[in-house]
Amino acid sequence: MKCKDGLMAVTEVADLIRGGHFLSLAGDESALRQLPQGNWIGGTIPYFMAATGGTVCRDRVFVQQIAEFATPPRLRLYDAGTLPQLCRNAPDHGYSLLIVPAFSACHSDFARNAPNYEDMYLKPLAGWVAGTHLDDAGRATPQVALGTTGQFSAEHAVVMDIELPPSRYAQIDIINPFKPGNGDAISFPDTGFSADVCRINGEATHLADYLIAHAVDTRLPLVADYCGASVNVSIKHVDAERRRVEFYAPVFPGLTYRVATPVGENPAAGIGKLASDGVAASFACNCILNFLYDALEGKPAGALTGPATFGEIGYQLLNQTQVYLTVR
Amino acid sequence: MKYEDLLCQALEIDPPWQIVRMRNDLGRRQLDIWVAREAPRRGWIFGARYELRDGPESVWRHINVGQSRCVVHAAADMAHLGLPWIGADDQVFTHALSRQIATHFMEGISFQAICKLLDIPVGDLWKFKHSLDNGKISLSGKDTLVADSKQASLGIPDADHPVWNALLTGALDLDIRLLSLKLLLTKLRGQMPLISDPEVRLMKAHELHHYFLRHAAQLSHELTQLRPNGSPTERTHEM
Repeated sequence: MKCKDGLMAVTEVADLIRGGHFLSLAGDESALRQLPQGNWIGGTIPYFMAATGGTVCRDRVFVQQIAEFATPPRLRLYDAGTLPQLCRNAPDHGYSLLIVPAFSACHSDFARNAPNYEDMYLKPLAGWVAGTHLDDAGRATPQVALGTTGQFSAEHAVVMDIELPPSRYAQIDIINPFKPGNGDAISFPDTGFSADVCRINGEATHLADYLIAHAVDTRLPLVADYCGASVNVSIKHVDAERRRVEFYAPVFPGLTYRVATPVGENPAAGIGKLASDGVAASFACNCILNFLYDALEGKPAGALTGPATFGEIGYQLLNQTQVYLTVR
Repeated sequence: MKYEDLLCQALEIDPPWQIVRMRNDLGRRQLDIWVAREAPRRGWIFGARYELRDGPESVWRHINVGQSRCVVHAAADMAHLGLPWIGADDQVFTHALSRQIATHFMEGISFQAICKLLDIPVGDLWKFKHSLDNGKISLSGKDTLVADSKQASLGIPDADHPVWNALLTGALDLDIRLLSLKLLLTKLRGQMPLISDPEVRLMKAHELHHYFLRHAAQLSHELTQLRPNGSPTERTHEM
């Protein structure tokens, strides 16, 4: 029997855990640490797109229940050395939910190398990057938790592998409020979370100089076209003095990026409109940057609810994008 | 866990079966193992003992141990058991190695490449392929292969069809709905300009073909465009 998903009090979540439900949880560390051991994975974050709208809270936990499976899901931790086996170890027919702590070696490795993990793109993989309240920056550390042992970790990734019945399959989709703009074509020589010299319309140029000279709104990500899917790389910081730009996800060589243009006049409205198609998602998450830049606190979430995270995982690491998984 | 147990695990030899004898001097880069059943303990002081019976012995080529061939020796009357480390009466390979080879065939890997990869004599592989084509070998337990065969009848072009290369090089575009295919094709297209070796380029085509086989049920929109009466976007007239 499927319990109700959404933002719940710690006591309600504890009851679900004691009932043996398989749960994917998101909440502030202080809330997650009050939960009993059981069939759950979790990550720290206090930002949510809840049924009542955008919410920031530390005393409740967002619950996404895994109600449909052929065999009991497997829950485990991976370190940076074993994470590349993630997809290989996933069930042949099913999907995996992954939570990675921000700023960890797992986060860095996954961001850079996930496209080359064995069996990547063959088995559905969705998830998110755990974070902290922004007021706690420098004091708190993003963590993940394995409910079966009660272990919290700032260095491991936590995974739930869900095998589905043969008649059912999982599908992962994204909703991106941006698309590539009509501006200059930007390409990078190397994979990296930062860049100095890149090529703009084929000419070697310092990206920082370019962004400053063109007064680019750095809340807009760089967007690459992946055979029809717009994939964002969000800009973290432009260091004019060092002529260096830092990103929230790596840029990759061989791709053409452009400064984004919003799909609609209001990116938040774009998400809300697309998300209200009546999609029943088994899992969804949004981006903390959408939450902040579009001031989503208190605004309706639409059909897709979940944590607002430090990064979204739809196979690979994504930025400023809503990810959702449906079982059909 | 003991090294012997790890080796048994790697070779899919589960209790009550055990490796009771090993030799590495019967062939170059070759490990010969003898497998027998653990017999009941005679008393707590004696520990386990194994039944290595006198009598006819069968020999099968098993999955490799690293770069070494692995040859299994076991009692001849065990061939009917469907264990992964033994083979059928008249076959050269164990069931586990047969499945491994069959998977390579399904992936479209060439004869020569399989022989080289697994260090198998061409003659043995021909014999195996002949048996496979004539239904003399059962690949029991390999459901995915059966599923792949069924999917192959759904109108997916063969692995060596030029359409895969056209997709990989961007000469042919599809309207793609599935996120995983968009991401995979972008990755493969990014790799292709860096690959000059024809065999490696062929492997990339097989990788894409394998994706279509695996996800055929979700790719009706894309597969429609691959069929002769579909409407893919051709960037050039050559495929």
